[in-house]
Formats: sequence, structure tokens, C-alpha cells
Amino acid sequence: MFAQILKGLRTTLEWGLKKPVTIEYPDIKRPVFERFRGRHELKRHPNGLERCIGCSLCAAACPADAIYVEPGENTDEERYSPGERYAKRYEINMLRCIFCGFCEEACPVDAIVLEHNYEISSYSREAMIYTKEMLLVPPPPGVPDTPQRTPAPPPQDMEAPVSNPQRVERTPPGGYITSYVPVHVVGEEVHPWLLNPVDEEEHTPRPAEAPSGEERA
Amino acid sequence: MYYPRLRGHAHVITDAPEVANAWRGTLEFILTSHPLDCPVCDKGGECPLQDLTFKYGPDLSRFYVPYKMHFQKPVPLGELIWLDRERCIYCSRCIRFCEEIANDPVLEFADRGRAQEIVTFSDPPFDSYFSGNTTDICPVGALTTEDFRFKARVWELRNVPSICPHCPVGCNIVIGERAGDIKRIMPRANEWVNEIWICDKGRFGHHFVGADDRLTAPLIRGEDGQFRAATWPEALDYVANRLAAIISTHGPRAVGGIAGARAANEDLYVFVKFFRDVLGSPNVDHRVAWPTGTGIEQAVAHVGLASGSNLASLGPGSLILLVGSDLEEEQPVSYLRVRRARRNGATVVVAQARPVKEEAEAAHLLRYRVGGEAHVMAAILKVVLEAHKNALDKRFNKLKGAQQVREAVADLSLDELARISGVSAEHIRAVAEVVVNARDVVIMVGREALVGAEENAPALVDAAVALLAATGKAGQVNSGLVALWPHNNSQGACDMGVLPDMLPGYRPADEAGATVDDMLSGAADLKALYIMAADPARDRPSSLNALKNVELLIVQDLFMTETARLAHVVFPAAAFAERAGSYTSLERRVQRTEQALRPPGEAMPDWWIVAQLAERFDAAWPPYATAVDIMNEVAKQVKVYKGMSYDKLEGEPVSWSTVAGYHHVYTGTSTLNTWFGRTWAVQAEARRPKYALRWSGLRPPRHEEGVRLVARRRLYDHGTMIARSHLLDRRRARPEVLISSQEAARLGLEEQGGAVRVQANGVTLVTAARVEPRLPADVAVVACDVDGTAWNALTEGGVRAPFGTLEKAEEAVE
Ligand code: SF4
Ligand code: SF4
Ligand code: SF4
Ligand code: SF4
Repeated sequence: MFAQILKGLRTTLEWGLKKPVTIEYPDIKRPVFERFRGRHELKRHPNGLERCIGCSLCAAACPADAIYVEPGENTDEERYSPGERYAKRYEINMLRCIFCGFCEEACPVDAIVLEHNYEISSYSREAMIYTKEMLLVPPPPGVPDTPQRTPAPPPQDMEAPVSNPQRVERTPPGGYITSYVPVHVVGEEVHPWLLNPVDEEEHTPRPAEAPSGEERA
Repeated sequence: MYYPRLRGHAHVITDAPEVANAWRGTLEFILTSHPLDCPVCDKGGECPLQDLTFKYGPDLSRFYVPYKMHFQKPVPLGELIWLDRERCIYCSRCIRFCEEIANDPVLEFADRGRAQEIVTFSDPPFDSYFSGNTTDICPVGALTTEDFRFKARVWELRNVPSICPHCPVGCNIVIGERAGDIKRIMPRANEWVNEIWICDKGRFGHHFVGADDRLTAPLIRGEDGQFRAATWPEALDYVANRLAAIISTHGPRAVGGIAGARAANEDLYVFVKFFRDVLGSPNVDHRVAWPTGTGIEQAVAHVGLASGSNLASLGPGSLILLVGSDLEEEQPVSYLRVRRARRNGATVVVAQARPVKEEAEAAHLLRYRVGGEAHVMAAILKVVLEAHKNALDKRFNKLKGAQQVREAVADLSLDELARISGVSAEHIRAVAEVVVNARDVVIMVGREALVGAEENAPALVDAAVALLAATGKAGQVNSGLVALWPHNNSQGACDMGVLPDMLPGYRPADEAGATVDDMLSGAADLKALYIMAADPARDRPSSLNALKNVELLIVQDLFMTETARLAHVVFPAAAFAERAGSYTSLERRVQRTEQALRPPGEAMPDWWIVAQLAERFDAAWPPYATAVDIMNEVAKQVKVYKGMSYDKLEGEPVSWSTVAGYHHVYTGTSTLNTWFGRTWAVQAEARRPKYALRWSGLRPPRHEEGVRLVARRRLYDHGTMIARSHLLDRRRARPEVLISSQEAARLGLEEQGGAVRVQANGVTLVTAARVEPRLPADVAVVACDVDGTAWNALTEGGVRAPFGTLEKAEEAVE
């Protein structure tokens, strides 16, 4: 009888002695994979300007129609992003979002990135509409926030034709897959706004944003 | 003429590999210096260069990227249009549009090679009423409008078909709506109305709809003289009770109604029905900005431009006779149509007292004296009837009244007519010959002709009708009479019977009611006045007394207008984009609109308000739920609208757009149009036309001391609607009077002009005078609806041509 009970509890007891698989959320958080798609962030350039140019391509790509973008025009006195256009309003309805990442893929300037935060719950529907202020990351330390007073880039004269050493001369196997010559191969002068070279770290999640459970514990 | 004409049998192949190869080469070359900033380009999504690149473009460029030409990003071509020189592909469509189609040659290429760019050399820059069209036809985003700049991406817009509310041409437009706002207005291609063009008033004049000062709740004037907001039932009950009380003491004729011709056919029909059927008052009229008593409303129903006509199909042998018109300022797209007809070979004859732009198209220019308009037409008629007897139409003599017209005209002397009108007899004979030999005759009569002719205006209309009948052109396709109305739905207002002497469908009324002139002068002795979509206190300042003296003034409008300020009750109405409706253009094409937005606050469509009032009078009306219900009733009740329904106003598209498949590549309009409207047939098109000719008699024109003031309406004035489009502020008509060089010399002014004091119609104004050398000596042209009501008081908003005096003013005017 007792043996039978023990036999029946065998699995229970076995697991009771193992290391638990559950963790004490929210005190402890499980680390997510590098390519986990969580709450979005709107990124910035190293000089503090917003990357987003208000082009609405993310909204067009979004299968859930979760994004609303209202563009505005930059001036030298009030500059939010390089170039002419910025997002005056940028909202994502997190209730609609299915975290597919299409927006990230559609963005021509890598402005919207799905990061590692998955704690997106609230007591009201209204609070689930994330505004631009909530989505935009703070400027790097020591760099002014937008709007900045920055003049537009001076008009450039036509550059002297130079031969492109990296021009692709032969058709790659399987044909061409891109429709443009990748601009970063030709050097740093391409975009005057990228005063500092692209920071590799910018594309990796900052530790402060997504603390893992272990660290906290 | 513009495209190579293929004769015989030709087989055109557009999808051969050679074609694709040619495209590919061209595209690769174009893209060598294209910035490819599609993500921020307003054209992105409807850009022919994008589409063609997707279809034919090379995957990879053989050119090195820094080859690209860089310019400073957009530069303004005036306040309305931006130019992004990096995107321009030097196709010169914009230049050619301005030169060939709009006759405003203000754009040109400057420089050569890759530094080539579009420049404008007019002052103000890009000085054209049609500048917005260049942004549609520009195949890239090089030209974009200030209005739509960074407002939305084109695929986010809900495109709602509508009709331009600004003038009687009735251009087909599409409203780009997003998040409850009008983001832009684009043309819809309609080969019979506006082709693929609209004017800048139509394109940029939509801001009144979303203006902050729209009326949003019914207002009742309280004991203290202040307005207070009320609910609909409260305001409607109040009005119904007051109206019933007035009718029981003073009878139904003490109530009058003025319906502005901006309202839709449905509103106007219900308004008339309310007055004639429910209240029993015949006092309804819409002609606040149009002379009364001319008979042109009836004449258009008799011999109007026949259904199936298309001005663009006029060609060699066709004649367009423009009498007292100023197309570019009043019906801009009609100017493009007339110009196109002329370029196709039609003859244009312009009869006008003062210089106007369409003279550039004229083969004959009849510069008559103000007051001699009817005499010119009578003289042409006389020569046609007498010198070209053999060419006359056989059916003419069978028409009732033909004999009377013949006799009356025989009594006139050509030399006398020529003397009075100031147009030589030879010139008249030459024009008469053109009229007789023309294949098609279109006569367009403008406001200025009827106003200037004064009591001879009926004779002018009679002569035009007789001319069409005598030459056999009445009822013939591509021929007929067109009235150049002041408002977008003046024609519809006539059709719906918003006239004191006619019922809907031009049935004569048993007893005539008071005209708008009687109502506004106080002669009709009204106790209550119901004004829908009109602002007589502003347009006809002399009406102030009459408006103040009525016991009950009901005003139904979008804004707190000058008239609404005097009202006892104000009803907030929905604007054209906030409700469905149908509008009738000057060619009598009935066209429908769709609702694009929600009205602000509690504003309601005009027809709903009137129907609610009728309900309170226990009218046995069917419950109207939508405008469609009313249109269906109109189709049964109004003879000329027989068989029309909202479905029937759709039609078969015939234009490049559908032939080519890519509508925006070829037409510049981003949506496909399938709503073409329908023209109703005039009396003369019937197998046995039942209309009579009449002859109202010619009297010598009035003559007084001083100069004759002719009112000139400008496209961008200070009217209630257009004033709220601040984009146009810098182009708005300035208060000024145009005088002749002789007058300037007499006044001792400088060569360009100076300050003058104008006195006429009991009004004195000090203003700037500008010398217009081509102006006849005794004519001065004054602006209308500029800078306060005094300017409207001078000419009663353009419906009078008074004599006035000018003198040099010492005061300086800016
Ligand atoms: S992740 Fe997908 S669903 Fe969510 S906003 Fe982006 S595109 Fe839309
Ligand atoms: S996030 Fe990217 S795709 Fe979306 S509007 Fe901004 S720039 Fe365009
Ligand atoms: S239409 Fe556009 S692309 Fe063509 S010349 Fe003009 S600006 Fe350049
Ligand atoms: S011509 Fe008249 S109807 Fe056409 S867009 Fe201009 S104002 Fe509107």
C-alpha cells in the first residue's frame, strides 16, 4: 500500500529533487534569445537625431494595421531627423501588434527595432497605444535631445566621377538579388549625417534595457 | 494634334522585348542621377518612374553612385508648388502644360546638361491658376504641392469621389481623406467635363471644410440678444412655431426663402417643396449673385447645350461665341476647354467690354460698349436672318414666335445697332457669316453681359435663342446655349425650381412670387426669411435693412456669416464633403458626390434640416433617410431629371486611363473614375420641340455722367469658403480699380495709376487705381468681394453696373 503510494508519487518526488524549471517571475526573468521580438524601440543616430523619417513604410507593411504615422517637416530651427521629413506622431497599438517584425524589415533607415522587452500589459486599452515618446530611446549621453538646432546639409556639387573599385563586373551565380549598389562599400562620405561611423553596438540590445533575471537576482 | 495621328491600319505593339529593352535602358539612364528618396517623396506610391522601374527597370546600375547630381532640396516655385531639382527628369511636361494647355508660359528650363533646372520667371512666381496640375502630370516627385507636402502617404488615403464646390464647371475631384481630414484634392479624369485638370481654387480651396470656426450646434437668439446653443428639437420646434404664427397672422406670402446655389440638388428640391407645398409661399429664389428677369434660366432649358456634347470634340468648323465672359476668373477649367477647342481648329469669337484672357483665343473680338451687349447680339441676328436667308433652318419658321422675331428684327437698323454697341457693321457681318457657316455653335453668356445690358438683358437672351434656332443648331449635339453661372449648382437650382415664377422642371407657376431683389430690398414686405447657404448681407450690403426688419430670420450655413450674425436662429449645415449629394454643372451634367467626412459637431445636411421642419408642419412627406431617397423622388417629379438615379450617374469610362491601364502614368490622376454624370436633354432636342421664341424689345442703353463700373469677380477673392485657405492669401485679389489711360490722364494720375476716390451706388471708397491700357475710356473695372462689404456695395456684388465718378484722392493707399 505505502509502496504503491510512493510508486504513484515517484515522478513527483523525482521532480521535487531536481532543479526547478519555473522561475519566480517577475523577480526573476528568463533571458530571451538574441532575435526575440518584443516591444518596439525607435532608434537614434549617434548625434541624437531620430532615425525615423516618417515614411510610413512600416505602417504599410504591418499586417495588423497597428502603426499610425503622421509626418512632419524638419526645419533648421527645429530638426528631429536628418533630411526633410520626420515622424510628428508615431503610435503603435500593442493590442493589435502580432510581433511579426515586418515593420522592422520594411524600415529603410533601421529606425524601428523590436527589442527584448515583453512586459506589455496594462489595465486599459488606451494605455496600450504606445506613443512616439514611449517608443523613442533617449539620446546618447551628452547629446542634446530633439528638436535640435542643426542646419541642413549644404548643397553638394556634383562629385568628380571616380572609378568604383568595387563595382561588380560579373554576374554572380544565381543572378543579382539586390537592385542597388550597396552604398556603404564606397567609403564614409556617403551620408553627411552619419558624422560618426555606424556604431556596431547600436544594433545590439543595451543591457540596461533588458536586464536578465539572473543579473537581477 | 498632340499625338501622332495614325491613319489607315496600324498595329501598335507595346509589349515586345524590344520595348522592354528600350525601357530598361532609358530607366537605367534616368536613375543615374535620381536621388531615390522614395520613402520621403510625396509621389511615392503613385510615381510612374517607380512603377516603370518595377516593371522594366534593371536590377543593377552600371553607374557609380556619386555620379549623382545634388542640389539643395526643395526650392519653392511660388507658395503653392515645390520643386525638387534632384528628382526632375527633364521631361518638360510641366513647361508644355503651362504653355500649351493653360496659356500661362511661366516655366522654362535654365542651364544645360546635368545642371539643367526648371525655373519660373513670373512675378509672383509660377503665376498660374492651374499650377497644381503640373504636380499631377510630373512623372516624378519633382513638383509637389505645399498643401499635400508630407501630409500622408498616398496609399493611406481614402479616395472619395466628389465634385468641386467652387464653380459651375463641376470638375470631378477626388477627396483624399485620412483620419477625418481632407489631405488633398485631385482631379478625376472625366473627358466631358474637366479632362484631367482642375484649377488651383478647386485643389487648394478645401480648407473651409475643416476650418475651426465651423458652426457645430443650432443657435437661438435669446431675450438678451445673444446666441445660445440649442438642441436640434428645440431649435426646430422654435422655428416651426414662429413660422406657423407668422403665417397665421400675415399669410404664407409673408415668408420668403433664399437658397444659395452652393447647395446640392436634393437640398434645393426639398427647400422648394417645403415652401411651395408646406408653407404655400411662392417666394423662393437663388439668384443672389445673378441678375433676375433675364429669362436665361428658361432659355437654357429650351436650347441649352445639347446632351452628349463635349467641348473638347469641337474642331474645324465649330464656333464658340463668348458674350461677356471672364472664363479664367470665373470658370477656369472652361477656359482650358475653350482653348483646347480652339487649338483643335474651332473658331472662338469673344464679345466683351473689357480685356479678358480668352481674347487670346479669339478670331474675332467684339469690343462693345457696356450697355450695348444686347445690341451686338441683335445685330448678328439681324444679319443672319436677312443676309443669309437661304442658309436658315427650315424648322425655324414653324417655331412659335419666329414671325414676331423676324418683324422686330427687321425694324432695327444695323447702323444704329452698330453705333450704340460700338462694334462696326462690317465686323458684325463677318461674325454673322461665321455663325451661319459654322458646323456647331456654342453660345456662352456670362454674368457681365446680362448685368451690363440691364433692361435689355431679356433681348440678349432672346437673340441668342433665335440665333441658335435660325441656324438650326438648337438641339444639335455640340451646340447650344450655356449660362456661365456664378455658383457650382446654379443650374441645379434652376432645375429644382428655386425660382419665384417656375416650379421644378421649368413648369410655369400659377402665380409668381417675390424675386430675390424684392426680398432683399424690402419690397416684398416679408415677415420671415429663411436663407440657406447664402450670405446676402455680405454679397448685397443694400439688403441689410430688409434683413434687419424681418421678424424671423433663419440662416442655415457653415459659418457665422454676416447674415447669420443678424439671424434669430442659425442652423449648422454640413459641407459638400460631409454628405452625399448631386450637383448640376453649367453644361447641365448632373453629377453625384460621396460622403468623405463626418460633419463637425451636430451639423446636418441641408435637406435633413428642411425635412425636419416640414415634419413639424405635419407634412405628409415620405421619410427621407438619405439623399438617394430624394434623388429617386426628383427623378419621378422633375421632368427633366426623369430616370436619373445615383446608379445612372455612373458611366462608361472612355479615356486614356482605362485604355492604358496605368491611370496615373498617363493622366496624373491617381484614381480610376467611373462616375461620369448625366446630362439632361433640353426641349429643342425633342422630336417636336415645344418652345416659343420671344422678342422682348430693345431700348437704347441708359446713359449717365461718369464712368461705367464693371464688376470683375476674381478666382481668389475673400469669399466665405475660399478665404479659409490661407495658402492662397498672397495671391488673393487686391482691392483695386482698373481704369483706362484716358481716364488716368483726365484725373491727372501717374502712368501706372494712383489713389482715387470711387463714388457709385451711394458708396464712396478710396482705393488704388491701376491703368489698364486696353480698357475702353469710359469703363472702370472694380473688384468684387475684396476687403469688406463696401466693395460689394459698389456693384451689389456684381449684379449691377452703375455709373460712378472717379476723382484723384490725396490720401495714400498702399
Ligand atoms: S511587429 Fe508586425 S504587427 Fe507589430 S507593428 Fe510591426 S508589422 Fe505590425
Ligand atoms: S519607423 Fe522606419 S518605416 Fe516607419 S515611418 Fe519611421 S522611417 Fe519609416
Ligand atoms: S514635369 Fe516634373 S520631371 Fe518633367 S520637367 Fe517638369 S519638373 Fe521635371
Ligand atoms: S474650374 Fe471650377 S469646378 Fe473646376 S476646379 Fe476650378 S473652381 Fe472647381
